[in-house]
Amino acid sequence: MAAAPRDTLDATQAARVRSRSRAGLKARLSSKIAIALAASLAAAVGNAREAKVPEQRPVIGTPQVVKDLHWGDVLFYFYQGDYLQALTRLGAAQHYGRLEHHAVEAELLKGGLYLSLGQHEEAGRIFDALLDENVPLDVRNRAWFYLAKVWYQRDYLERAAEALSSIRGALPGDLEPERHLLEAQVLMYLDRYDEAIRVLERWQPAGDGSDPWSQYARFNIGVALVRKGRLDDAAKLLDEVGRSEAPTEELAALKDKANLALGFAWLKADRPADAKAVLQRVRLEGPQSNKALLAVGWADSAEERFTAALAPWLELRGRDVLDAAVQESYLAVPYAYAQLNANQKAVEQYLFAIETFEQESKRIDESIAAIRSGGLLDALVSNDRGEKVGWYWQLKSLPDAPVTRYLYHLLATHEFQEGLKNYRDLKLMERNLAAWSLSVSAFEDMVDARRRAYELRLPKLEHALDTVDLDALEARKNDLESRVKLIEREQDAAALATARELEQWHKLERIEQVLTRADQSDPLVQEMREKTRLLRGRLLWDFNASYKARLWRERKELRELEVAYKEARRRWVLVERAREEYPARTEEFAARVKNLRPKIDSLSTRLAAAAEAHNRYLADIAIKELEAQKERLASYSLQARFALASIYDRAASAGGGAE
Amino acid sequence: MLRKLIWPLIVLLVAVAARAQPQDSAETFKSLDEDVQALKKEVLDLNRELFVLEEDLLFPANTQVAVFVSMDVGEFFALDSVTLKLDNKEVANYLYTEREAQALLKGGVHRLYVGNLKAGEHELIALFTGQGPNGRDYRRGATIKLEKGVGAKYIELKISDRASKAQPEFIVKEWE
Repeated sequence: MAAAPRDTLDATQAARVRSRSRAGLKARLSSKIAIALAASLAAAVGNAREAKVPEQRPVIGTPQVVKDLHWGDVLFYFYQGDYLQALTRLGAAQHYGRLEHHAVEAELLKGGLYLSLGQHEEAGRIFDALLDENVPLDVRNRAWFYLAKVWYQRDYLERAAEALSSIRGALPGDLEPERHLLEAQVLMYLDRYDEAIRVLERWQPAGDGSDPWSQYARFNIGVALVRKGRLDDAAKLLDEVGRSEAPTEELAALKDKANLALGFAWLKADRPADAKAVLQRVRLEGPQSNKALLAVGWADSAEERFTAALAPWLELRGRDVLDAAVQESYLAVPYAYAQLNANQKAVEQYLFAIETFEQESKRIDESIAAIRSGGLLDALVSNDRGEKVGWYWQLKSLPDAPVTRYLYHLLATHEFQEGLKNYRDLKLMERNLAAWSLSVSAFEDMVDARRRAYELRLPKLEHALDTVDLDALEARKNDLESRVKLIEREQDAAALATARELEQWHKLERIEQVLTRADQSDPLVQEMREKTRLLRGRLLWDFNASYKARLWRERKELRELEVAYKEARRRWVLVERAREEYPARTEEFAARVKNLRPKIDSLSTRLAAAAEAHNRYLADIAIKELEAQKERLASYSLQARFALASIYDRAASAGGGAE
Repeated sequence: MLRKLIWPLIVLLVAVAARAQPQDSAETFKSLDEDVQALKKEVLDLNRELFVLEEDLLFPANTQVAVFVSMDVGEFFALDSVTLKLDNKEVANYLYTEREAQALLKGGVHRLYVGNLKAGEHELIALFTGQGPNGRDYRRGATIKLEKGVGAKYIELKISDRASKAQPEFIVKEWE
């Protein structure tokens, strides 16, 4: 293998190579730096897009006081991040009209929930319908902000820009700086750099500018300025971020990115000393350290300090070969040795590099084969036990499997994450429908139970309905009312007497009749007449004395009778209606239940197909990424072989072997 | 010479491929994403439909009774579980996770139980367990006699702090 390059070059070719190699070296170095720069700057800009705090914030319309129990029920799931349940319950509560006191908030929350579930079309429709002048400005602004965020996440950049421009005035708290950042990023991705820069320049963050949002903004505008070729302006901002205090890991990572971006910018501008100064600020163990080490080496190399360049490059040699910077160091180290005329070492390292690249290329082939055989996404979501759908979800850690080993960069991309989220949501929904599918049997049983229960109860019901004569009852009630009215009109106190009193009254009347027919001169008869008169007077006295109380009681009882009668009539109507409507209602349920199975089955099939389409799509882009990595390795390998040939050629021309 | 040309050619090809790929894949992603969003919407609608049907069918309004648990402040009581007995029969026994307890404290209300009851008088007993003041185990019961009419009956079991006594308070509230 070591002899292969030499065998492929004849003397003429070797001579040509030799004559051009020195002149070409510098050019190749510049082109290599330019390639690395392009990649790193692209990465830096790409990272800028990731430079958002993915922290979950309350969506629109979260209330403080619960006035309807079912609204609290919705919030119970919402606060747990279970948006599918929250939305389902919200829809059901609206269906039943149970959110009377929270109607506007419910719509706003629904919009927010649709946003959270990635349903931007539906959310947009709700907000459009709701965000008129009657809704508080603050709520409207937040709605547009979240809408813009989702559109941005889903790559609908024009719509995101439009939503952001609908915001009037300032947003509360942390949302305001985030909004400016978002607006700048949207404009940047629309290639409207000047506007993006103006947005960030217009925005003066409160305080000393050391807040995270301001740092992100400086970084982003710095990168934008580099792209516009305004290096001095960019350097000022990136340098500020690069020197800032970084109390959190997030800010420390941002600081590294700023130093790296500036370092590459200086390298590109052929200012290696300035580049080295900022690149050395990057943490040695951070995620950007490999790129920084590589670039520090190039900075030294550009000043022809190849021994110094070897230090960072050799440090990279001990690192994970999956990283592009590490791979490039496999070429950089022998390049430095060659420049130092340590040709033997250079040859060894080039050969080692070629072998490593070949091995890596084979491993990539294995990864491609593993991905082609399916299972990429299942490997990714296999550790995920969450049951929550939504766009806040992010893949937190990667499983170490052949399918994912080479995809760290790809998996961190926005596009891949979005696709993965969709895939995960589709799988969760498949499980959700499978669970409902089990309930359908219970629904069918319930419909049967309704039918049987009705058949059992019907005879009893009909008997009850047939035997109750409500009209007769009403007639008797009306008769009673008339009698009480008559008594009242005629002040007929006796008519309200108790049964015992009436009996006494009739007895007295009978005695009086007997006494009328008796001898009136008889003193005994006279005495008896006097006694009956007294007794009659006494009874009349009692009747009159209790007349008002008795009349009041009669009226009260009549009123109660009226209520009882109306209730009886109402119940009768209900039962009668139930007898007529119950079977129809049961059949309506039966029809609803009957439609469920085909609907669930059809949706499940479509969910599975969509999941498969995502699987294929993401596998495709993963394979493309891997193929690009293979191409890179192949080009590195080609360079190594070319350099080897050049060394052999030089050695041959010098008339001896390699050093 | 040929070899010298290959390298820039490859770089060029990679660059072109890299440039072309995002555009194509972005279009594919948008199209896939639109399909998924439409599908998700249908699943969400079906979920609501099923939820409503379940309630209509299994818990019709005239016999429905639902018991809700709510909580405020939570300084003197950290909720672990609630056991519910209706007419002396245990109908629910729920253990709260930390996440659920937090959701209650933020204003969420948990529908602990939904079932059917005949019209008339019934007895509801709720037993709360958790950590009381000073982190001690705490068990408290609450009983309510409820009159079930024709419409749905909602009961709220409200746990709140009684600051004056530095004790939790368990209130049972009937909603119509």
